[in-house]
Amino acid sequence: MSPFTEEELIEKVQSGYMVEGPEDMTEGYRKALRVQLTVQADTELMSAPSYWMAARYAPSTNTQVSAHAIIQDELAHANIAYRLLEDIGESKEKLVYGRQPHEFKHPYGFDQPLDNWADLVVANGFFDRAGITLLSDVYQNTSYAPLKRALVKIDMEETFHLRHGEVWMRRLSKAGGEAKEMVQRSVDWMFPMTIEWFGLPDDLKRHSGQLDYKLKGLTNDQLRQVWMDSTVPLCKELGLDVPAHWDEEKQEYVLDYPFPCQYDASEKRWAFDEGEITWDDVFERWKGRGPMNEIYVESVQRSRMDVRRWLDGKAA
Amino acid sequence: MNEIVYDVFARKDRGDTLVHIGYVDAFDDETAKVYAWKTYDEERWFEMCVVERTAIIPVNRNEGVFANARSAAHG
Repeated sequence: MSPFTEEELIEKVQSGYMVEGPEDMTEGYRKALRVQLTVQADTELMSAPSYWMAARYAPSTNTQVSAHAIIQDELAHANIAYRLLEDIGESKEKLVYGRQPHEFKHPYGFDQPLDNWADLVVANGFFDRAGITLLSDVYQNTSYAPLKRALVKIDMEETFHLRHGEVWMRRLSKAGGEAKEMVQRSVDWMFPMTIEWFGLPDDLKRHSGQLDYKLKGLTNDQLRQVWMDSTVPLCKELGLDVPAHWDEEKQEYVLDYPFPCQYDASEKRWAFDEGEITWDDVFERWKGRGPMNEIYVESVQRSRMDVRRWLDGKAA
Repeated sequence: MNEIVYDVFARKDRGDTLVHIGYVDAFDDETAKVYAWKTYDEERWFEMCVVERTAIIPVNRNEGVFANARSAAHG
């Protein structure tokens, strides 16, 4: 039971008060934190099968090691986020093993297949950069102390994933020819995918309480700009085309395609030529989930029941 | 498959303070040691220890995760 009303807690966290546990929370705070942590945990968890299935394209034993080191990190980050959820009264067992594939809250990007080594390294360069962008903002601004402490490790490791992605994007791009074409193809579907990942534009954003409760500091549009501020110059330096440019007048990055727009998951192609769609259309696509959703979730859940049956109720 | 919560403490270098760095869910002490060492591998720790959360005795707070774990286990 919180000692504060919603208004009191909002005022306190805005003045720097750090929440240490459920005993300090209002119901509104707990719900907003639960949503944020669930998205974080599910995203870390679902990145693992996505990267794991792509790691088979690693071109050497060394790169196998680095790809799997990243997967190990992601699973550790997921475990940490689910533990934080347990500490506010949620069940990791139910969250990881008790939900249907479509009930997970990770972004649509982790429902897509990574079909080759270029896809995997651009995912490290783009998706992990999105992760760092979001989590660095949380680290700097969150009022939830246990999450702030946990993010020290997570940020350190996500930076390694990003470096891995960017080093390999540079290496393939510099090689030119087919290597560069493959990276460009990955960039073509993953750049708009990551832009969409940051969610509704600020002028359409429904009130979530995450800013009020100081669970994050920047808005969706600001976060999108932070991501582009690193990603667009990198791609330019590597000679890779991206559908965005710096607008001197507006002093911000501007997209060169209708946003949001439709995505053909089977072709891995954005329908720029079909024009802008509504965010309701986007939510419908997200809700329908992508082609790998069931496969990825099943890969995480499949042995649980078998082993439990073998153990016949005994603690493993 | 009931797991137990263990808190993880570590010091980075000789002479450093032992700090709480995180937690793992594990079946027993042995698996907790392995999970902690593999999960928190971001540093080359000089020393790492795990302790079952219910074994931590809160001194001055009767609320929070440690007090809650202890009261759930011991009433």
